[in-house]
Amino acid sequence: MNQSTEEFDYQVRKAVYEVTLQRGYPPTLVEASSQLQADLQKVGAAFQRLAAGRVLVLQPESGEILMANPFSAVPTPFLVELDAYSCYGNCIWDALGVLAMLKKDGRIATSCPDCGTAMQVRVANGSVQATQGLIHFAIPALHWWDDIVFT
Amino acid sequence: MLFFQLEEHIDRWCRTWKVARGGTLTVEQGWRLAQAWYGPDRRDAAWRRKNVTEVEALFEDLGLTSGFWNLRPPGRS
Repeated sequence: MNQSTEEFDYQVRKAVYEVTLQRGYPPTLVEASSQLQADLQKVGAAFQRLAAGRVLVLQPESGEILMANPFSAVPTPFLVELDAYSCYGNCIWDALGVLAMLKKDGRIATSCPDCGTAMQVRVANGSVQATQGLIHFAIPALHWWDDIVFT
Repeated sequence: MLFFQLEEHIDRWCRTWKVARGGTLTVEQGWRLAQAWYGPDRRDAAWRRKNVTEVEALFEDLGLTSGFWNLRPPGRS
């Protein structure tokens, strides 16, 4: 039976987030293809469609996942520490988003980009705890996706 | 989106990097935004990205009502 593109893209999205939530970083194309028992090129095309739909952000040359928001495939200044693993958020919003998506307590470790002072945010029992700190969005909301990696 | 120690650190960083001062959230606002944005399970078939109207309502609920948070291009409503 033929599977629709929409249904296949959903299966890919589901597989990507199952792996990501389990281990803290997204699967490679090879891993996703293996998990789905699907052709590598077909999965790569689904990654591209999901990126066009702003569900994933891909590395431009390889087509591998750079961001399965809020998770980053590569180290960033926003380390998220959980009981099960440590992982990286794409920004402070996404680091909070990792804990929100997992619905887990944890700690975000980062530093002030102005002075370098170590900073942390803890989430415990579903509440956020930070003695100080402000989140700054440099890019107006309308333009977040003009260059999402910079944003 | 970066996490600064103090307001004056945001100002200094913007001056240093010649970046216009943008929008600022408290940690509590950021947590509420993160919960609303990333709480819905992306493994669900029914999950979809929020549309502009839904995001506008979320921003308004968080008190983010200045032009910085506008999601519609000028001249379109």
